[in-house]
Formats: sequence, structure tokens, C-alpha cells
Amino acid sequence: MRKTLLIACVTVVVSSFGLGVLRAQAPADSRSVWDGVYTEEQAKRGEAVYQKECASCHGDMLTGGESAPPLTGGAFQANWNGLTLGDLFDRIRKTMPQTSPGRLTRQQNADVLAFMLSINKFPAGKTELFRQSEMLKEIRFETKKPAAKN
Amino acid sequence: MFLRKAKSVTLLPVCLAIVFGLIPSRASAQYKPKDTEWPTYAADLAGTRYRPLDQINASNFNDLEIAWRIKTDNFGDRPEYKLEGTPLMVNGVLYATAGSRRAVIALDPETGELLWIHGEHEGKRGGAAPRQLSGRGLAYWSDGKEERIFYVTPGFRLICLNAKTGQRVPSFGQDGILDLKLDDDQTISDWNDKHEWVPNLETGEIGIQSAPVVAGNTVIIGAAFREGMTPKSMRNNKGHVRGFDVRTGKRLWIFHTIPMKGEFGYDTWEKGSAEYTGNTGMWTQLTVDEQLGLVYLPVESPTSDFYGGHRPGNNLFGETLVCVDLKTGERKWHFQLVHHPLWDMDISSAPILADITVDGKPVKAVAQPTKQGFLYIFDRVTGKPIWPMPEKPVEVGSVPGEWYSPTQPIPSKPPSYSRNGVSVDDLIDFTPALHDRAKEIASHYHLGSVYTPATVSKLEGPLGTLTLGTASGGTNWPGGSFDPETHIAYLYACNACLEPIGLVPAPKEISDINYIAGVAGKEVQIMRGPGENAGADSPKPPKKRPPSQYVPLNIDGLPLTKPPYGTITAINLDKGEFVWQIAHGETPDVVRNSDLLKGMNIPRTGQETYNVGTLVTKSLVIAGEAQVTTTADHPRGAMLRAYDKATGKEVGAVYMPGPESGSPMTYMLHGKQYIVIAISGGPYSGEYIAYALPSAGE
Repeated sequence: MRKTLLIACVTVVVSSFGLGVLRAQAPADSRSVWDGVYTEEQAKRGEAVYQKECASCHGDMLTGGESAPPLTGGAFQANWNGLTLGDLFDRIRKTMPQTSPGRLTRQQNADVLAFMLSINKFPAGKTELFRQSEMLKEIRFETKKPAAKN
Repeated sequence: MFLRKAKSVTLLPVCLAIVFGLIPSRASAQYKPKDTEWPTYAADLAGTRYRPLDQINASNFNDLEIAWRIKTDNFGDRPEYKLEGTPLMVNGVLYATAGSRRAVIALDPETGELLWIHGEHEGKRGGAAPRQLSGRGLAYWSDGKEERIFYVTPGFRLICLNAKTGQRVPSFGQDGILDLKLDDDQTISDWNDKHEWVPNLETGEIGIQSAPVVAGNTVIIGAAFREGMTPKSMRNNKGHVRGFDVRTGKRLWIFHTIPMKGEFGYDTWEKGSAEYTGNTGMWTQLTVDEQLGLVYLPVESPTSDFYGGHRPGNNLFGETLVCVDLKTGERKWHFQLVHHPLWDMDISSAPILADITVDGKPVKAVAQPTKQGFLYIFDRVTGKPIWPMPEKPVEVGSVPGEWYSPTQPIPSKPPSYSRNGVSVDDLIDFTPALHDRAKEIASHYHLGSVYTPATVSKLEGPLGTLTLGTASGGTNWPGGSFDPETHIAYLYACNACLEPIGLVPAPKEISDINYIAGVAGKEVQIMRGPGENAGADSPKPPKKRPPSQYVPLNIDGLPLTKPPYGTITAINLDKGEFVWQIAHGETPDVVRNSDLLKGMNIPRTGQETYNVGTLVTKSLVIAGEAQVTTTADHPRGAMLRAYDKATGKEVGAVYMPGPESGSPMTYMLHGKQYIVIAISGGPYSGEYIAYALPSAGE
């Protein structure tokens, strides 16, 4: 029994070592948050979900509080700069709402993410944000607007 | 076994401890006298965060490598992104709290190998706790033979563990557990469905996230509550401080932070408000002078941070530094830093004990860093201020029903080390256009110097009072550091943590208080506290939140105030004068990359954050960054920085993959110095990282 526990727990601890967030693996010519990756309508749907599920901790202005970080502004954007929307989506999907992680559907999570992008002044476009993490990993979160392509 | 959730929701917690069979071999026989320990949360009971080690110094700081690291994701039923602990290293073992379970872990300090783990499954009681997640640490005690670890669970139970095995000590309390919601000279209560205030040990609001302190054979515990900006009621449980016997758990003394009828200070609560007002806890670290037998208690605000109309009077011992006897808890002296608290200026960090020399005479002093950026320095035997702290007139506000103190004590020395008021001169001025935009935003608020009171929020203005040096300003829970050899204190401070304080009438279905924090035109909602409803076993969130409009207090992401946004100040306590002051932290990406500032040469600004703790060694001041940046010099991450403690000049920096979220500590074991720091935040879940120099030949 003791040996079993030992192995089990070592496995748990060792497996936890690899959980650091991976750097973005997206190719350089993939899309970024500046390319209109969500729609205004989706952001509106996301606002309703946000106010119901997220605002009590992150604040109705997304400015955060002692219990939860801001979801807008310099510190927030710096945290995610260089990662992908897939990373941010999975952080939300797997750990939020903190009282019941994983309770929201992929669609709801995508809508909330669209609302967050709109508040952070990334432009809306004509297609909705994907619901699949793998596809969202192809969209870079870039704080700074890239120079126009030739 | 460890991860299986307990089904029981009874008040008896389920204890899980797993020992890896390695502890006996790490007994004290291995301990070398020349090793340097870190045996309490702040290095020592004086709260100095100082160790006279010099293996890691200016010449090699940049060579530091990660010696070991441990993620805390699995120490709870969900990952934690707010790891605030500072570990202990004593007798050859490193101890820490970790994860959303607030588990206790014992590690090999040289390799990070897990030696044992202990966790308590508290069910609903843990899930309802006001202060959840991993907390800030634990305490160690030994009589030379037996070794014990003490920590407080989110559900407010004091747990006594055998330091060698992680098992509870049966002879302490009831099977190693002391229910801190009992024997508190009050009946811990909560509101029931009929809105009656009734005894309730499960959901009655009280808890703590700081580390217990052990002095001699006494373990001392304070209390914490939910955020006080939007309280549900003027009534709450009180945050008394208690001392317990480390061997048995027997209560040795209690200090009433809100005096009971007949006790000193009761009359500072007019209209009988001491009877129902609560909070006034001591949620941060305390310090002890074992030689003098004195304990220094930094006390927080009473119920309702920003409106005190239901608690007229000065409200002792709210926001008061109190000195009590270690053996009896009897009050020796006190000094109220803020009369009738209205700004959430909880005394938020450990008082620092400092033996200094003033005008040629030795003085046993105590120095209290604060959110308002004043360093209050007293003779710690008598309580007499080292330099005068005259009562000065302050603005009296106009909120209906409020009671105002016409004066507040203002230290004459040293000068305030961070901003504690807002004027137009504090606003961003990189360009005249930016300054004009900042003035326009600020024009919606009432401005003023320290202790300018809140206003009622009005759509036509003011929306409230714009403040600095209040709720999250100056020095917060990580506290300061002190070098006992040079008599210099080192204090990190947030210099740009703006707090707009507006008051709105509280809807009766939300609160029985006349006014709570809010903004005119927005639906009122209760604000959550640190870790509340975030730890293991917590319930689901409320269903309905009101819609609202987003209104930023920045200009295209640029902070509304001008830099420096965060500073470290070195203060000579013999003279009450600054030695140096620097901006701490890389210039935020949003500033460095701003199109509005293109072509401008902006010196390092520091960062706007309130949770940076400092460490002082023989030659260095060491502190991490609490914000992430991406620069030409490093990928997205934060830096652990070292400064020459004599000059403030940066002498080295090492990369951290996430921001500092707990204060760094250091120790020397078997000839090697280590620095351990907790990092977490944003995408990065909690992790303790140990840095050390490469071994010879590496």
C-alpha cells in the first residue's frame, strides 16, 4: 500500500512539473488579434455571459480586484502578449469560473473571450471566434498592432 | 488518495497526510551550525526579512540558476494563480503552504524533493471561508527534541503537525486541531434566511491567510474577513487576537481589538457601536520582542471601509498599532495611526523592530510601514514617537450621517515614501496633450491630499474622491525589510495604485448600511475578497450580475499618474532620512510600446503593483517584479532584481517565467546559498522556484 501511494504521489508531483504555459508555437504568418477574429454580435453575447459568470470577481468594468486580476489594461495584455488565443481560451475554459471550473460551454467561453477582446480594443470582424482550442492557437495575442503588410 | 475529495461535509475535517519515508534520515544530525536558516515568515520575529549571507552577491547574481522548482497545481482540486507564500527553512527541511487546498509541504531544501504533504478537506466550511487559497505561510516550533509546524486552514482551524512526518499531533487541541471559531469571547455567527444573526460555525465569517507566529511557547493568531468596501451589514464578527499554548492549544490570552463594555477604549465607539461593529482584525504578520516580552499587533479597519456613520467615534483599536504583553495579552501601549478609519488604511504589514541610535542614544524602536506611505517610528518600550507626530487638521467631508475626525497624526520624520494624495501635479505629463486628457478624467473626481474623505458619487460629479495611498497604495502585506547592522529600512511601495472612492446609498436588499462603495449610475454589487470563493470546496457564484458600461481610469492604457509607478526606498532610521529611492520594475509594455510616446526617452518607470516583497542580505536588496514584460533582453516574463543596498544601483537580474507573487527568502545549507520565491499570475499557475549559483565546474 505504501509503495502504491508513493508511486501515485510521485507521479502526481512529477506530472505537475510540465504544466507551465508553453510559448506560442504559431507560425509567423498566422493571424493575430488585430485581424478581426470575432464579431460585435458575439461580443454582445459574451458580455451577457461575463456579467453573469465573471463580473462578481473580475469587476463589471473588467478592472479586477484583490481576488482576481484585471482582464484589460497593460498588466493583463503583458501577461498574454506572445501567447495565443488558444492559451487564453484554455485558461478560461479549464479554470473558470473559479467556483466551478469547466461549467461553461465552449461557445460561452468563446463569447466571453470575444467580449474581452472588444473591451481591449482589438477590432471586430465578420467571422465569429472559433470554439476549438487548436484553431484558436493559430491566432496570436499581440499587444502591439503589427505594421501594415506590403 | 490525496486528490480524492472528501464526501463528508461534517465539521470534522478529513486529514490527508502522505509521508515519503525520508524524514527520519533528515534529522537534526545533518544540521550544521554554520547553516543559515529562515525559521519564521519574515526571517525573524523582528520582521526584518534580513539574512547576512553573501555567497550570492553583486559579482555573481546574474549567474544564478534554477536549483529546483515545484508547481503547486496538484495541491488542491484546481490550480492556483495567486501563490503568496514565503517558505521556512529550518533544521534542514523547507516547509511551505501550497495550492488551492492550502496544503503543507515539506521539501528537501537542496533538491526540492517532496518529503511529506498534509491537507485538510473542510467541505462547506472551507468553501465558505472569507480567505481561501494557499495563504502566506506557516510557523515552526521546537523545544530541541520535538518539532512542530503550525498553520491555519481556510476554514479557521489551527493545525499542529509533527514536523518530521506531517501527521497531526494528537496531544494538541483535539487530535491536532484547534477550532478557532470557538473560545473567542464571542459567538461566531452569520445571517440566516430570515435575516437573523445566529450562531453558525460553518459559514460564520472569519478566517486568516497570514502565517501564525510562534514566540517562546505561545502561538499567536489574528483574524481576517471579507473585503470591507461593500459590507452586507454594519454587524459582523470581531477580529480578536489570541495566544495559545504550543503544546496543548490551551488559550493563554485574548486581546479584544474592539473593547468590551468597561474596557479601555469602549467609549471611542459612540452610540453603543462597539456592540455590533466587527472586523478590526489583525490579518497581516505581527512581530515580537521576546527579550522584552512584548508583541506588536497591526490592526485593520472596522466594519465598512469607506463609510463609518454607523460607528461614530475614533474606533479604537481600528488602524492602531497595539503593544501587548507576550504572556498575558495585556495592553502596554497603543497608537492609533488613523482616527475613525475611512480609507481602508488597514495596517497591512509586520511592524519592524529596529535597534537604532537617535541623537547619539540607543533606542529600541518599532517602525510601521503603511499603505499611506508614512513610516511611523516609536520607542517600542514606551510607545512614544521617535519624532513628533502632531495632530493636524484634515478635510471634513459631507457624506450624510458620517462622523469625521477633524485631525489626524502626521509623522514629521521621515517624509512619506510614496504618494498619499492626488493633485493635478501627480497626473501623467509625458506630453501636454496627455496631461490635458488626464486632467479631464480627474475633473470628474474630488482631489486632495492624504485623508481627503470620500464623497457621495453623483452623475454630474464628483463620481467620488480619487485617492492614492489608500486601499492598495504604499506598502501592503509583503511589508518592508531592515538591516540591523546599518539601521536602514527598505520599503517597496506602490506609487500609482489609484483608488476612486465614491459612495452610493446601499439598496436595502444588499446592505443595512447607509452608504457603500459604488459609482453613480451603476447598479450596486458586493465585491469579493482575496481568494473568496476561489479555493477548494467553494460554492457556485451568484446567478445574476447587472450590465454596465466600461470606464477606464487610464489613457489608452497609460497610467493616469506620472511615474515612478512603484519604488523601493532606503530610509536611515537613525536620522529619519532617505538614503536613496529607485523605481522598481521594468517599464510596463503598455508604456514602453505606446504610440503616444514614440521617440521619447523615458527612464525606467517601475510598475504599478502592491504585492512586492523585499529581501536584504549582507550586500544586496533583492525583489522580483510583479508584472510581466516582454523586452529585447528577455522573453515574456519577470525579473528578480538585485540592488546594491548602499546605493540602490542595480547590480544584477535573473529571469523568472512568471511574476513574483510571494516574498523571496534565502538560506544557506551545506555551504550553498539559495533564494526561493513564489511566482504566479496571468497564465502562470503557482510555482516555488529556488535559485542558486552553479556548482564548481558547471
